Amino acid sequence: MARTLITLILLSLAPLAHAIDAAELLRQVDRNLQPDSYEMYRKLINIEPDGRRKEFVLYSVKKGGDKVLALFLDPPSEKGRSTLRLGDNMWLYIPNVGKPLRITSLQSVIGGVFNNADILRVDFAAEYAAEGVDESADGYTLKLKAKNSTVAYDRLVMQVDKKHQVPVTIAAYAASGMLIKTLRYSQMKDFGDGRLRPSVLETDSPLYQDYKSVMIYASIKTRDLPDEVFSLNYMGRVDDLRGK
Amino acid sequence: MKHLVHLVGVVLFPCVPLPAHAADDFSFDLSTYAAPSAFELHGYAELRQEYQSLDTDSPLYRLNFAGSGRDALNRSIAALELSGSYRNGDSRIAATWHGEQQHDELADHGAGRFYELYLAHQPDAATTVEVGKRALKWGKGYAWNPVGFIERPKDPNDPELSREGYVIAGADFIHSRGGDLHTIAFTPVLLPVTAAVNDDFGQATGLNAAAKLYLLYRDIDIDLLWLSDGSRPGRLGVDFSTNLAPNFEIHGEYAYILDHQQKVLDAGTMTTRSYDAHSWLLGLRYLSEREATWIVEYYHDDRGYSAAQMQDFLSRVDAAAEAMLPQLRSIGQAGYTRPAAMQDYLYLRVAQKDPFDILYLTPALTAIGNLDDGSWSLTPELLYTGIDDLELRLRATFLHGARLSEFGAKPNDNRFELRLRYSF
Repeated sequence: MARTLITLILLSLAPLAHAIDAAELLRQVDRNLQPDSYEMYRKLINIEPDGRRKEFVLYSVKKGGDKVLALFLDPPSEKGRSTLRLGDNMWLYIPNVGKPLRITSLQSVIGGVFNNADILRVDFAAEYAAEGVDESADGYTLKLKAKNSTVAYDRLVMQVDKKHQVPVTIAAYAASGMLIKTLRYSQMKDFGDGRLRPSVLETDSPLYQDYKSVMIYASIKTRDLPDEVFSLNYMGRVDDLRGK
Repeated sequence: MKHLVHLVGVVLFPCVPLPAHAADDFSFDLSTYAAPSAFELHGYAELRQEYQSLDTDSPLYRLNFAGSGRDALNRSIAALELSGSYRNGDSRIAATWHGEQQHDELADHGAGRFYELYLAHQPDAATTVEVGKRALKWGKGYAWNPVGFIERPKDPNDPELSREGYVIAGADFIHSRGGDLHTIAFTPVLLPVTAAVNDDFGQATGLNAAAKLYLLYRDIDIDLLWLSDGSRPGRLGVDFSTNLAPNFEIHGEYAYILDHQQKVLDAGTMTTRSYDAHSWLLGLRYLSEREATWIVEYYHDDRGYSAAQMQDFLSRVDAAAEAMLPQLRSIGQAGYTRPAAMQDYLYLRVAQKDPFDILYLTPALTAIGNLDDGSWSLTPELLYTGIDDLELRLRATFLHGARLSEFGAKPNDNRFELRLRYSF
């Protein structure tokens, strides 16, 4: 009788243990992709169906789970623009306009398939709850649900590489169940400090037939910055952080 | 449509190669960016061609073009804007210079000036001190800014154009603490007015003080603003901006101006009347699922003229002898013919990003309605940024209203503009 009772209790706790594993795996994925606080250089490329490309170079800094600031270094027409994210709040600063304007995660400041949530991505665990994980010989399948309605995608299905515990593909869905885009990570690279992670992120979307956007990570370095950097008043002088 | 846009690009820019690359060529040479140079220079060169169909029967045609005999005007404009900075440790010298040369059938003229030229010192991330010519832009409104206390007025038909600043000494102190009151920032400013410095800020010379206190409180941006009584009447203001939903933003501004001096025609004589004035703006910004951005703003300003006052001025222009026109022109420039010279306006802008899956094409429609006299302007435009470093904008503006209304009295009925901007 006691053995049966213990078995029943263990069976009832099994899904809970599974959920805890999923949440821990998600946190591990976040830690493997980027330090808690960092500075980063990356290039974004929008590729049209005929092969024409438009490229953007961004300098970004992040602090904690929900603060990201990015500055456009190229092309010249975008130079000096910066975007700030504090949790669910996002702003765009255009030098000529001279003051930040609120924007949303669904927009894209660069056009193309990446939206602002992709460009100013905070930790996955900050925005999504891990609802479950399936294990296969090659890796894990993490099922993630947005924590609130301000998050760009309602659900993510993330294929995770078993060895390096980094994403391989992410399918992003709207609340209606429609597939919005697929993100594919590739080209593992050593970024220093023992950080081995994908250096290329490609995305396509059924909403943009035959278009593709690519993000190339060139440098990710741990850097601790004051909270004041992540404020509206600082958006016009982000460039002062570079090279210091 | 997509082919048409590409064809337009090829026809208009035959010498510009359209880059095509192998899809898997994902190289990124970091050395160009990782070690920023102490000296940086960038900017744009611009060519604009304008055509205006003149309304030879309108009051303001009589005021500005009387005797010209023209019913149309072609104008060519070349502009250059250079922005540069030099960094040394925690200090930076920054400058923006803007120059334009324009030619039309009536006149040629050109001008160039520094929009900004200042020294900034930033001992730490939370503190900045700036001295020099600086364009500070306050407020949350897109088309108008009642709390833009120390800036030159913006053109609601092209609000994103850069503007000339004033010579100031200012500072910026930021404190981020997390929690409900996430960020506090304080920006005090001193603005001198003498016969040689900032002489167009206001009539009385002296040292003006202004300040802005910014709060990010529970995801709401809030500014409290103040300008001392001096070269301009003293004033207080508040503005806010927040998201009601992820794709729906609301913003507003309110300014209380003490003892505003309005110059107004009274029985044919220019008089000045003083009163405390309110000016406010309420706006919404909405992003649709198909990435159309809607901006709607209502703007009220007690300092503006009523429909009756504007009609009185325009009637006098209509009836005046030619010898009186220079005087009326001067009266107009003091208030009646400045942009948004009346009291109540509605602004609407709809911009559709990447329609028909055409990247970098943004058609937009802007309408500005004068609610006091029922006149309005309508500006459709096409913006294409699909060619590296080039921006092409085609826009038309149509004006409509009764003959003695603000937009109906303008000297032109419509205006077409093609703008080509090369950024470097």
